[in-house]
Amino acid sequence: MHEISLVEGLFQQLKGLAAENQASKIISVTMEIGPHCGVVLDSFQFGFDILSAEDELLKGAKLIVKVPPVSYQCTNCSHVEVTTGNKPDGCPACGELLLIPSGGTDLMLLQVEME
Amino acid sequence: MCDTCGCPSPSDHSDHSHSHDHSQPHSHQTPGPSKTVDVHASLFAANDALARANREHFDEIGAVALNLISSPGSGKTTLLEHTIEALKGEINIGVIEGDIETERDAERIRAKGVPVIQLTTGGACHLDAAMTHRGFHRLQQEPGGDKIDLLFIENVGNLVCPATFDLGEHERVVLVSVPEGPDKPAKYPKAFTSSHTFVITKTDLLPYFDFPVPEATADALRLNPQLRAMDLSSKTGAGMDSWLNYLRDLVKKMQDSKKA
Repeated sequence: MHEISLVEGLFQQLKGLAAENQASKIISVTMEIGPHCGVVLDSFQFGFDILSAEDELLKGAKLIVKVPPVSYQCTNCSHVEVTTGNKPDGCPACGELLLIPSGGTDLMLLQVEME
Repeated sequence: MCDTCGCPSPSDHSDHSHSHDHSQPHSHQTPGPSKTVDVHASLFAANDALARANREHFDEIGAVALNLISSPGSGKTTLLEHTIEALKGEINIGVIEGDIETERDAERIRAKGVPVIQLTTGGACHLDAAMTHRGFHRLQQEPGGDKIDLLFIENVGNLVCPATFDLGEHERVVLVSVPEGPDKPAKYPKAFTSSHTFVITKTDLLPYFDFPVPEATADALRLNPQLRAMDLSSKTGAGMDSWLNYLRDLVKKMQDSKKA
């Protein structure tokens, strides 16, 4: 639900960057979106699409998303599962359901391509 | 980028509509020289910086700040009402109430005679550091708002989004009520891994629900071994002592560090 306001914040930052670099058009924006940063990827993409469509600087800009790996440590057997995909339903080694996630909590602007 | 019309999402092209009409003239000329800028900046950086400033301010004035996170209806406001009653004359309490709409919670707290302000987020699912900052300055204008020892920030009822946003609190408290069920630590791990204290509320309802307190507590502790766990009923007062002593300790530690 808060993705749109995060996209608004991102666009403010992009406007500053474009001005610093005398760019009039942003071509692509590369983001790292951690699976545990509290952002739903589809909602972020949706916010990016609708807000960029009505912005001169960002019209047509492409959002490139990189998903960092997250490690899940089993609270029973200490097995560590590292994945960039969905959270495992249970520990692949022993089946325990309670896994401690670590990493993937940030939402980073990595790179901007502009002209 | 989609090379047909330049829309930003090639994969979704078939299942969403565009106001982008190809009968209208628009240019497809070769783009000019482009440059790529590396940024590597967190979008949470602005919030985190403000949160640090809030925490420094709370330290300066000697106020302990707690951020209360839970689902809607877990009994946060009721617990605060009983806490204010119990600590009246002992600890100066102030409350920032966060809700999507209405002044209702603030009115309940105001009736207990402590400074309170209501933040209505107008749809946003969580409080952030900027709202907290503005809210605290408003709170300081309220009668009694200039001498707060213990600040409760009652977040918007939601176990998901609030876990992502540091408000500048000293401790984060996650609450789960008995009717919600014991599986919340497994389903919403971030609220538990980012908290300092876990409170199970409405324990007077235990006879009517399948809520094994020791198992729920153990699950939460396995996720976050540093978590302080307690269970209580605001209604009967059972378990309230450990909660109140926890608050007294926090306030005492803050006051001792001010004296030192």
